[in-house]
Amino acid sequence: MKQVASVISRNEEVIPGIFQTWLKAPELAKGARPGQFVMVRCGKDTVLRRPLSVHRLDGDKLALLFQVKGKGTKWLSHCQKGDKLDVFGLMGNGFKIAPRVKNLLLVAGGIGIAPLYYLAESALSAGKRVTLLLGAATAKQMYPVSLLPSGLEPVLATEDGSAGHKGMVTDLLPEYATSADQIFACGPLPMLRYMAIGQKKLGIKDKPSQISLEMRMGCGVGVCYGCTIRTKNGLKQVCKDGPVFSLDEVIWDDFIRC
Amino acid sequence: MAINLKVQLAPKNKRGLLLTNPVMTASGTFGYGMEYEHLFDIQKLGAIVCKGTTFEPREGNPQPRIVETASGMLNSIGWQNIGVEALIREKAPVWAKWQVPVIVNIAGKTVEEYGQLAARLDGVPGISGIEVNISCPNVKAGGVEFGADARSAAKVTAVVRKATALPVIMKLTPTTSDIVGIAKAVAEAGADVVCLINTLKGMAIDVKTRRPVLGNVFGGLSGPAIKPVALAMVYQVADAVDIPIIGCGGIATATDALEFIMAGATAVEIGTANFWNPRATLDILEGIEKFLRKEKIKDIRKLIGIARLKS
Ligand SMILES: Cc1cc2nc3c(=O)[nH]c(=O)nc-3n(C[C@H](O)[C@H](O)[C@H](O)COP(=O)(O)OP(=O)(O)OC[C@H]3O[C@@H](n4cnc5c(N)ncnc54)[C@H](O)[C@@H]3O)c2cc1C
Ligand SMILES: Cc1cc2nc3c(=O)[nH]c(=O)nc-3n(C[C@H](O)[C@H](O)[C@H](O)COP(=O)(O)O)c2cc1C
Ligand code: FES
Repeated sequence: MKQVASVISRNEEVIPGIFQTWLKAPELAKGARPGQFVMVRCGKDTVLRRPLSVHRLDGDKLALLFQVKGKGTKWLSHCQKGDKLDVFGLMGNGFKIAPRVKNLLLVAGGIGIAPLYYLAESALSAGKRVTLLLGAATAKQMYPVSLLPSGLEPVLATEDGSAGHKGMVTDLLPEYATSADQIFACGPLPMLRYMAIGQKKLGIKDKPSQISLEMRMGCGVGVCYGCTIRTKNGLKQVCKDGPVFSLDEVIWDDFIRC
Repeated sequence: MAINLKVQLAPKNKRGLLLTNPVMTASGTFGYGMEYEHLFDIQKLGAIVCKGTTFEPREGNPQPRIVETASGMLNSIGWQNIGVEALIREKAPVWAKWQVPVIVNIAGKTVEEYGQLAARLDGVPGISGIEVNISCPNVKAGGVEFGADARSAAKVTAVVRKATALPVIMKLTPTTSDIVGIAKAVAEAGADVVCLINTLKGMAIDVKTRRPVLGNVFGGLSGPAIKPVALAMVYQVADAVDIPIIGCGGIATATDALEFIMAGATAVEIGTANFWNPRATLDILEGIEKFLRKEKIKDIRKLIGIARLKS
């Protein structure tokens, strides 16, 4: 883990409200694994760093993809090429692709595409077949299909039906899960909980599934216990033991208030 | 110019608690120290105070446990920790090899439990002192209820004092109208040091869900927002007791730390600042040294309480 003064080489609004920021950060880009994240200092007016996933890698550069939500991400969206960004990472364990599997199914709800992009790229270069179920509220809020890695097979869903299937991205699971050897998902908590509770109905009961969890964080290194969740294997720190967990392991009833 | 940064925190204790410098970590914000070992040389710090430790392992409070607030944060961790036995088994042997003294922060549900914890830690290699948390706003039983009035605070102090020969730091809550009275009472009951302050009780509401944000409803406010409160308490207590004081609350820079020292603190603890700047403690230490050099002050002890106006 290192605290790095990275330099922003590009910051652009990919779709309204969602920004892609490329950072020159050789110390972090080296050895970053899909599913890991960094803690970003979003200006002097913030007390807590913001956790953001590794979205893409390119040589000594690392990209973040984030949705403007509040104070921190708003500040970050205003950063410009050449600005310095204080980044602390890499945190967490990342996704694990089982060595012998062939078909991966990725499920991205909204900004959940952020860590799955890099996972897809890695899996494709390892010769896996990757299908991506990509969901958003509307076509306008959908991550542009043209920017997805080539070789990836995307299937779209929007809540208003303006692109692809009309409904939730998880509606697509029963059809696409059958041919999947392993499932990876990232998205809002209700989506993940829905997958966990509806495993049978969605046809993913016997599929090994990994999810990336979001929890409010203080330290990012496992010392503050701000991000603790209960799992079937005891208490876990999302920052240190996660953010990737197996779908079965998490005790989902705990998140009704989150 | 040779500069002395050494401070003695427990002059009346047989073992004493000599720090190579006054910069310490605050409980709950630096884990057990090991977590930051690869980031910088933690052996350079004055002391490390570990996460609050209870008799049995504790799960802590429901999520969410953290909210950012204006110049601060609320936490409602609620004493999640590995328990004293695991601490003695897994952490203390590592500490025993360290140069930097480690102080164990303890919290009990009953007065007796504080005594049992102190007795259990007494004589364990690797442990240089005990910090007694009678000021946690995040638990139902214990915590702040012992720290809120002078009589119960003194009772816990006396029980811990009897149970251990280790230096005893009493960590006080700002949630009281009588900080001076409480500090005097714990000093009389045998505390070697007082630490001021723990977090202030606070809350946040999510207007969209119309519910409190924290799973535990209330949390403890920390960070720069509480610095002036902490500083005033150190200043007041420094006039009233003759045992050393550790200043804590919102310290993020060397200037902040120097303010506390000038108000009367012998050492300082750094908490929330570690979260945005994992090297905060080291930066503060280096900043203090730089200040002394620039101001041509040979001994940090010359600054302790220097800002206090004589009445
Ligand atoms: C491991 C991990 C990886 C993440 N990766 C991404 C990503 O790649 N892209 C992306 O857009 N978002 C990601 N998030 C969510 C992102 O951290 C939050 O959207 C962001 O912190 C909001 O900050 P803010 O200041 O804009 O919002 P505010 O609401 O002003 O933030 C206030 C506080 O709440 C915390 N907070 C608010 N929402 C969340 C949340 N959903 N998860 C965790 N903390 C939150 C903030 O960190 C901050 O401490 C990730 C979260 C985690 C835990
Ligand atoms: C996440 C978190 C956990 C804490 N845990 C403890 C604890 O276990 N025991 C304790 O005495 N104080 C605990 N504290 C209080 C701090 O040690 C410190 O007194 C307080 O945060 C004020 O200092 P600061 O503003 O520098 O953070 C905790 C604070 C935070 C933010
Ligand atoms: S964020 Fe501090 S323990 Fe995970």
